[in-house]
Amino acid sequence: MTAVLLPSGLEELWALWEQHPTAMPYAGGTDLLVRLRKGLAQAPALICLERLKELQCIEERGPELFLGALCTHQELLEHPLLRGRLPVLAQALAVLGSPPIRHMGTLGGNLATASPAGDTLPPLYVLGAEVELCSPAGVRRLSLTDFIRGPGQVTLGPREIVGGVWVAPPSDSVRQHFEKVGLRKALAIAVVSLAALIDLTPQGVVRGARLAWGSLGPTVVRSPRAEQALLGGRLRLPELRAAADIVADEAAPIDDLRATAAYRREVAGNLLLRLAQYGGG
Amino acid sequence: MPGVEAVLTHAQVRGSNRQGVIRKDQPVLVDDKVRHCGDAVALVVARDQGTLAAALGLIELELEPLEPVLDMTRALEPDAPLVHEDHPTGNILLAGELVSGRGQAALADCAQVVELALELPRQEHAFLETEAGWAILTPEGTLEIVASTQTPFRDRTEVAEALGLELEQVRVSAPYLGGGFGGKDGVTVQSLLGLAALACPGRPVKMWWSREESFLAGVKRHPARLHYRLGAESDGRLRALDADLCYDTGPYDHLGGVVMTLGLEHAGGPYRIEHVRLRARAVYTNNPVSGPFRGFGVPQAAAALEQAMDLMAQRLGLDPIELRRRNLARRGQRVASGARLDCSHGLEECLQKLAGHQWWRGRGAWKAQAGPFKRRGVGVAAVMHGLGYGPVVPDVANAKIELTPQGKIRVYSGVADMGQGNASTCLQIAGQVLNQGLENMELVLPDTERTLPSGSASASRTTFTYGQALIAASGQLRRRLLERAADLLFVASATELALLPGRVRHSASGRELPLARLAALMQESERVAVGRHRAPVSQERPTADEALRLHGLPHAVFSFATQLAAVELDELTGQVELKGFVSVCDCGRLLNQQLAEQQMQGAMAQGLGYALCEDFAVAGGRVQTPDLSTYLLPTSLDAPDMDSLWVQAHEPSGPFGLKGVGEVGMDGPLPAISNAVADACGLRAQRFPLTPERVLAVLGRPWAAGGRP
Ligand SMILES: Cc1cc2nc3c(=O)[nH]c(=O)nc-3n(C[C@H](O)[C@H](O)[C@H](O)COP(=O)(O)OP(=O)(O)OC[C@H]3O[C@@H](n4cnc5c(N)ncnc54)[C@H](O)[C@@H]3O)c2cc1C
Repeated sequence: MTAVLLPSGLEELWALWEQHPTAMPYAGGTDLLVRLRKGLAQAPALICLERLKELQCIEERGPELFLGALCTHQELLEHPLLRGRLPVLAQALAVLGSPPIRHMGTLGGNLATASPAGDTLPPLYVLGAEVELCSPAGVRRLSLTDFIRGPGQVTLGPREIVGGVWVAPPSDSVRQHFEKVGLRKALAIAVVSLAALIDLTPQGVVRGARLAWGSLGPTVVRSPRAEQALLGGRLRLPELRAAADIVADEAAPIDDLRATAAYRREVAGNLLLRLAQYGGG
Repeated sequence: MPGVEAVLTHAQVRGSNRQGVIRKDQPVLVDDKVRHCGDAVALVVARDQGTLAAALGLIELELEPLEPVLDMTRALEPDAPLVHEDHPTGNILLAGELVSGRGQAALADCAQVVELALELPRQEHAFLETEAGWAILTPEGTLEIVASTQTPFRDRTEVAEALGLELEQVRVSAPYLGGGFGGKDGVTVQSLLGLAALACPGRPVKMWWSREESFLAGVKRHPARLHYRLGAESDGRLRALDADLCYDTGPYDHLGGVVMTLGLEHAGGPYRIEHVRLRARAVYTNNPVSGPFRGFGVPQAAAALEQAMDLMAQRLGLDPIELRRRNLARRGQRVASGARLDCSHGLEECLQKLAGHQWWRGRGAWKAQAGPFKRRGVGVAAVMHGLGYGPVVPDVANAKIELTPQGKIRVYSGVADMGQGNASTCLQIAGQVLNQGLENMELVLPDTERTLPSGSASASRTTFTYGQALIAASGQLRRRLLERAADLLFVASATELALLPGRVRHSASGRELPLARLAALMQESERVAVGRHRAPVSQERPTADEALRLHGLPHAVFSFATQLAAVELDELTGQVELKGFVSVCDCGRLLNQQLAEQQMQGAMAQGLGYALCEDFAVAGGRVQTPDLSTYLLPTSLDAPDMDSLWVQAHEPSGPFGLKGVGEVGMDGPLPAISNAVADACGLRAQRFPLTPERVLAVLGRPWAAGGRP
């Protein structure tokens, strides 16, 4: 039997963790319990974070939004701030897992798992999100790229947890776009996904482009060259195709059971063509 | 090790240690060589799961590596190792050929010939309840097995033989199953439970496979390779067919020969084709065991034929429904297998209904509305599906019904209900004959000690055959109740009485006799009635090959269906989205429309998985999709709204005119979907399922003017 500790606030968490230094924290358990069942992780004791109310808020704080790590995907998805200001993230959450998974799984869990296929990651990368980490020593902020060091590898000190995510919502001139390619409509791990923020002038000229792909490499893949290629042009097929070619050339994905590397590479580029819908003809 | 009650190997198996229906070639515990990755070698009985897991981890297996046979091509090579050294035809479990007219030679004089080669995947049943059961050896020496099984009576014989027991010593019962689909048509846990129970007398033993174990050791739908050449006159009349079907049956028979034979019989579908050569083989390999799965060899055959039909329609510039309609074998005519169709036959009407359906009539406009990077297509398929065991193996059911001492009607069902709801249909049938509502009825589920042998819950014959036996038994009981009531009420003739819910009534005088009272005045032997029914067999002899006849060819009664799929393809990703699905089915009279629709919807969902995402991958003899996160079943979001329509062609040999509906819906989805994909993009993939990657590969880059360099 594994003991499960249930702190109801951060102070209690630190105290319990001190008494059970080898305990492993978890939130929705949708990743951890699968790993435990498969014998891929061992936990002498578990600390369930779900009662940490202070990390379950979604708030505007100054120019930024704070998204608590313990928010479930469903809570985030249903929040007007998220839908209104961060549609790229909302679109990703809408296709994450399935309804039961979205009601259990959390943002913090998705970040800490740092899967190459984590669906919140490409949106958070293009949004330039920062991760807030909490420990008995206090709170610190890291950029997402500093937080995620590799597949399943994150920067977390001893007895440190993810407290939440800080995001500055893009302005209204920015088109926000997310698409995931899976092998079915729910419970589908991304074969490849794309998050894009495209800032357009009133005339429809691209003046900013941020692109990020999931499942295309060990962590989220960016392509400054493809972003650069879009600048100054319009969202029309020839321009998008040129950027698509760059990505297809640069990417070095892997073969696995779900798809070959060649397919991923091609589709990673193809997904850019969908941006033509924002080009207005 | 403390907590371990028994460690058993083949040395403790006292019987033949062989299971199977036609060829008994599957050991309970391996005694000569391991033939696939899910073979059982040792059986450990422990007090709790933790001890069991620890004990299993301590087993050391010493194996001498042998050269495996990992695909059908290799299996058929002359120097291939033999999966069973004692099998007279080597790695060919069974082969069959049906030739009529001038056979494939007639292709040479056809105005048009289309050709098609296909590779179809292995499909996992993935029932909700994995293989499970429990057993006990009673102090009286009876081995009682309660199992999730479609075949309690056959299991009893198999277990007794394999374990060296007398038939009377074994009792098998089959309470409601959490799904079967054919995966429990045959022994799974039964003999293992028996062996464990014999080793631990007086103590109940339980076995319940985890999902991973079920994936590893459970049977699958046969992967198949097919090659078809179909020839027609320029007016659209089919003239010649050359079909070759190859089924990977894995290392054991497990009804694989019967599956192949049904595929062979249906290789030319519901059409009249004068010159045919149909060939099929079931091939032994060291891959996972293939066995029965809803459709039983026919989905593979229909996948090839119904795509060839569309290729032909396209070649001839004919409407695909019209081409099918023109070539139907009608009642009294011979289908391509060479057998005459004498059963009720509503397929022509099914096709007419489908042709008039909004999805078909409105397809042009719907396709034209495809958005950017999308392509839409609509495809159809038409199929028939034989019911029952064929001409040799008796397709018999024995029903028993009782007026209980409390005055209730108790039906003893001999056929398992695996979720399809035939137990309710039984009550409905008996209730209809005896004019009783559910509140006055009870049901006993299959149990070799209490119910009578009625064959398997399989082959679309469950209600078809058992229902007739039950009608006979119910009629007999009805007569007896009325006659006894007439005596007791001093009424001249039973015809003056009416059997009403819970009572008998003398219409003229209004006098009534409650059934409970009637029961009290009857002896037990009077209160019980039995009925037997043997399904009709075909008198046709399309082949002189007795092995094929034993394996079920030909059938006498068929259900029919035509199905339509509407798909939307994404040019950028190759994803195929099913947007609409229609089925028009003739399975005779419907006794329970809701249950029939559930069968159709379930089959369509399973068929869409077969077409689009389910692929039980095996490489080097090892399972690559060991669980539900890697083996992808369609979710509810992947299934579109489905429309089920019915043509009720009354079948005189079925209960109240009914024919089976369990399988016919499984045969059409894959070809209908593939035809829809081809309608959308003009191309076909050779390998299934149609994953986005395969579809993108056939699509090329239509969006790139001239393609990318
Ligand atoms: C059937 C199924 C389908 C899925 N589909 C998808 C999908 O489509 N897309 C996708 O991205 N993911 C998917 N997942 C994975 C998973 O649901 C998500 O990653 C989810 O966001 C994990 O959150 P959780 O709260 O359940 O994590 P948990 O399982 O509770 O934790 C996962 C890991 O993160 C750590 N952790 C959790 N919270 C914190 C925290 N606040 N601070 C520090 N460490 C923490 C835990 O110690 C653990 O190591 C799926 C999982 C399942 C079982």
